[in-house]
Amino acid sequence: MMTAVRVAQVLLTAFFFGLTFEGIGRKVTARIQKRYGPPWYQNFIDVLKTLTKHGWTHGWIFDFGVLMALGGVIATLSFVPLGKLVAFPGLDNFFVIVYLFTVGALGMAMGMVGTGNPWASIGVARALTLMLGYEVPYLIVITSLLYFYKTSNISTIITAQGDGWNLFKFPIGALVAFISLQGMLGKEPFEAPIAPAEIASGPMVELSAKYMGLLMLMNTFMEFVEISLFVDFFLGGGTYFVFLLKYLIVWILAVMISAVLPRFRIEQAVAFYWTVPILLAFLQAFIVVLNQH
Amino acid sequence: MMQNLIIYLAVGSLVGYLLSKLNKHIGPIVLFALSIYSMFVLWNFPTDTMEGLFGFEDVLRFSAMSKYFSILSLIVFASFAFFNISWISKAKNPHAFNALSIITLLGTLGVFFSSNLIALYIFWEIAVLGSLFIVPMGKEESKKATIWYIVISSIGTYMFLYGVFMLYSRYGTFDIFEIAQNLPNESIGFKWAVLVLLLGAGIAKSGVFPLHTWLRNVHGNAPDTFSAVLSGQLVKMGSYILALVLTVFPVSVMFSEFYNGVNILSYVLIWLGNISILIGTLMAIKQNDMKMLIAYSTVANGGYILIGLATLDKVGYAGGLFHIINHALAATMIFLSFAAVVYRTGTTKIDELGGLIHRMPITFVTYLVGIISLAGIPPTSGFISKWMVFQSLVSRGMFVTEMFVFVGSIGSFLYVFRPLAGVFLGQLKSKHKDVKEAPIFMTIPMIILVGLTVLWGIFPQQVLIWITDIQKEFGMEPFEFEGTKLMTSMGYWDTWTVFVMFAVGFIIAAIIYILMPKGKKIPLEDQYTSGEFLHNYDLYHYASKFYAFFEREYEGHPSFEELYLSFVNVLKAIGKGIDYLARRTASAYLFWAAIVLALILWVRW
Repeated sequence: MMTAVRVAQVLLTAFFFGLTFEGIGRKVTARIQKRYGPPWYQNFIDVLKTLTKHGWTHGWIFDFGVLMALGGVIATLSFVPLGKLVAFPGLDNFFVIVYLFTVGALGMAMGMVGTGNPWASIGVARALTLMLGYEVPYLIVITSLLYFYKTSNISTIITAQGDGWNLFKFPIGALVAFISLQGMLGKEPFEAPIAPAEIASGPMVELSAKYMGLLMLMNTFMEFVEISLFVDFFLGGGTYFVFLLKYLIVWILAVMISAVLPRFRIEQAVAFYWTVPILLAFLQAFIVVLNQH
Repeated sequence: MMQNLIIYLAVGSLVGYLLSKLNKHIGPIVLFALSIYSMFVLWNFPTDTMEGLFGFEDVLRFSAMSKYFSILSLIVFASFAFFNISWISKAKNPHAFNALSIITLLGTLGVFFSSNLIALYIFWEIAVLGSLFIVPMGKEESKKATIWYIVISSIGTYMFLYGVFMLYSRYGTFDIFEIAQNLPNESIGFKWAVLVLLLGAGIAKSGVFPLHTWLRNVHGNAPDTFSAVLSGQLVKMGSYILALVLTVFPVSVMFSEFYNGVNILSYVLIWLGNISILIGTLMAIKQNDMKMLIAYSTVANGGYILIGLATLDKVGYAGGLFHIINHALAATMIFLSFAAVVYRTGTTKIDELGGLIHRMPITFVTYLVGIISLAGIPPTSGFISKWMVFQSLVSRGMFVTEMFVFVGSIGSFLYVFRPLAGVFLGQLKSKHKDVKEAPIFMTIPMIILVGLTVLWGIFPQQVLIWITDIQKEFGMEPFEFEGTKLMTSMGYWDTWTVFVMFAVGFIIAAIIYILMPKGKKIPLEDQYTSGEFLHNYDLYHYASKFYAFFEREYEGHPSFEELYLSFVNVLKAIGKGIDYLARRTASAYLFWAAIVLALILWVRW
């Protein structure tokens, strides 16, 4: 019963604060571009509006893909510790979270390609290729932390940061993880998979009404998982509101970077990830191994 | 009992051959009955039983490892046989195809039963010979593929045989357990030579670098359903040799430590695994033939298995063994679903297909669950073994190996998505508008395999019991688990909780979905087309050069297949030269006359 309450708490936090922070992010981008921007609650309006409209479906795989996408991400989110708020204590294994995360991504990819629109396939092909780019340096950095702390439990690593954040203990790793985070969030300069002006928003091309609304929720939850992991691993988690404050700072930073940068081509992005961040990641891992011996 | 099984299979092969002369659908039924019977017998057969074979005493030994590998082989063969009941009508020589399949099963079971190295070699050759004559019954290029198969296979088997004779000349016995007791006292050079020679067979058969080149040709061109056996079962015979040699011989005692508790031989093997993963993944990404794509993925997964086994610790080794059964099931599901697609459409080229989900939904679901397991995504069993290998690598801080493993793991999302998008999703080709779902005999084994993969993903206890039995048998510390809770020194997770949460997430999404207004179903041709008016929707499908932007990055890569082919060309050129000089032509006579004259002058006669 307590578990159910905690899961609900995690999901509602992600829903309210995720959408609110997205709204704030839109405002920040607008101000950087010298626009006024929408109100902070615009994303709530967007989700509710799309959910209540009549739309079009492309068959059962499209519907199933959307459900699998949102369902998979909700499952992932419930295992992610939000600072001290852990829905399943002891079960917050890093690899489980990373791989459970792909269920949602696969559902979305499958549903969108199931529409039969080639723009969606191109977008998904790009998203997967980009994933090959950012995941490898990210996983090397995170596994070097897991090796250092001799655990793959995220909560244990949060607790171990009581005497100082990993941001200061492993600055190179934090930098690499942040660069990877930018790719995970799909923010510029790693925005090629959705590139609205180039491939008609890629995977989202055939979405309408509630399908769009469900995937907007999924996107919010995905962002919440990604940034929460960064805050947990490098900024020491923290109590509920401290965690949210740290979250907001990371989010605004990512938004500000994306507001001023152009877009990498997909092969440039992969080539970039496989040169600078991966070398830095190995440098970090090397330092960790040296410290151990 | 083991001897009886082998006799039954030999007789069954002959009976099946004769019966399928009457009606070709009977042959696969015989194979199916034999597989189910063998599985029934072996499931409760006590392990660690010794038996003689045709008068030779104590040649066969049914160990926990034999049990594990036999059962996974029989699952693959049973589904293959059931699928064949309908598929056999497309086979070129149905009776021979079926009889040879039974011979292959006989050979592999014999390999798993033998504790005597020479008996193992003989059974191994029986399995290879059985499959060798099936491969050329496939596509046009399959005859050439058979040459790849026989050459690489014999490199492996001759290495093995040479190693066995080296051991025999020293100890006068072929019994692997007796040899294992003496081997640690030998010189380091002898140990290296013997183990490399014995492992060579496993490396060649499981398609690990540098002997991986046969997989693309053979799996890609063999008869469609037999590719499932090749990738799901015969390749696992190689994994069996790797697992057996690495555990029967006390490798971690015999070789010095190299890095964080990994001995030098294991380290070399792990590097072979790394390279296999890299080659398999990158090559699979660029294939347009769906069977060849999965053949390369078999190379990558062979690398995973080798890395897991070579770590030789309680988590990694168990992960390697678990990955064997996962890959066996996944590869069988994938190749059977491809066989169903080819049965209905007649092509294996991804860009000639599309949108088949609207005609063959069960085949699609089989492929989907197969790739989810292959890519290691929960809640299928494929994730469990990957998780175990990851935990083992991370706990030892093997970051370079991790890089290859992660590239292979993320890369597998890329290559499995290519057939998913190109064959099953997207626009349905107009010539395939009338395609029907595969016949019921094909869908039943596919559904059972889907169920088994998901079941073992949620309740992996049965497989883990088999695996820990193997570990206990070889005096290794067994993998720890309590019910569905899997534990390592780095933390634990619970397959059941994860599955429940996935179900909860899905239900939440479904509730929102149902509460909101219903969507209107529109046809596939109703698309956003950037304002263009399209006449031919067959072309509005993104399938050829799916990852062109990424493939471009490694276009000019070196190819081992071409390297080996250039060796062949050198041999051919030498042969041609000799041929030319042995011919009765004026220039040949002149050449020999000149040689003779030169010799005479040189010795100053």
